[in-house]
Amino acid sequence: MSERDTSAEVAMLVRQTLALSENEPISSQQLFFYDLAFTSMDLLDLLFRVEEHFQIEIPEGTIYHLARGDLAEAQFAEDGLLTELGRQRLMALLYDTPKQLFPARIHAATLPRFCTVGAITRLVDHKLAERNV
Amino acid sequence: MFELMRSIQIDAENGHASGAAFIPADHPLFADHFPGKALFPGSLILELAAQVAGPLAEEAVKAQLKIERWAILGMVRDARFLHPVFLPALLEIAVTILRLQSSNVSTSVTVTVNGERVMQAELVMMILESSSEWASALEAREDRLARWKEAS
Repeated sequence: MSERDTSAEVAMLVRQTLALSENEPISSQQLFFYDLAFTSMDLLDLLFRVEEHFQIEIPEGTIYHLARGDLAEAQFAEDGLLTELGRQRLMALLYDTPKQLFPARIHAATLPRFCTVGAITRLVDHKLAERNV
Repeated sequence: MFELMRSIQIDAENGHASGAAFIPADHPLFADHFPGKALFPGSLILELAAQVAGPLAEEAVKAQLKIERWAILGMVRDARFLHPVFLPALLEIAVTILRLQSSNVSTSVTVTVNGERVMQAELVMMILESSSEWASALEAREDRLARWKEAS
């Protein structure tokens, strides 16, 4: 059985999104908005590319729903801001993002801003596993 | 730039819209593009397509998600300019929604002239909350849309 190198494929798509050369190093620890200077439009572009390349769907709110898990909506977020429990859930999901980057008040619409390249790779692996079940 | 659109029809429930734009040969904007052979720039075909895709995205988001926002062109994906558009020309623009989300709407756009496909593209309209500083622009947009719909 052949294992695909999701990490390398995501890195390739990141390079394409930013129009970087094939030799530009992209690591799983890099943060899109902090290290790679992504804009929200770049992230949307990357997600479109990821969806097309891997033939998966990543609808908006995916990070939110994965972080929330089985928590009740009100336990996870209130008035558009994550609760402390919600913040802890997000930090657990995005465990490779430095803790100091998560502010005390996190707007629910900004969750993808805290993602590393590795987090998107894990998301792709998760979606591919779901598809193959 | 909005002066070129003539009419628009929007079916928000089913995610379709069509519009028509007329560009005269003697439009001053194209006097040097090119002298004696007025050619409509591809970038402006995209702009006219966005003028149809935008109102469709706004009305579809309102109809399907019950939120009132406004749309601006955010991304052009896979645009192909299939034939040159010499002026004068009547552009017929057909837009279909591919995917609707609260923050963006992806659309497929086909532009034809005299029944010939001149451009095919995927436009992503970003859905934004409007602020008070845009009030006069939004009011003008409403007037414009009403005129275009009435002309259909």
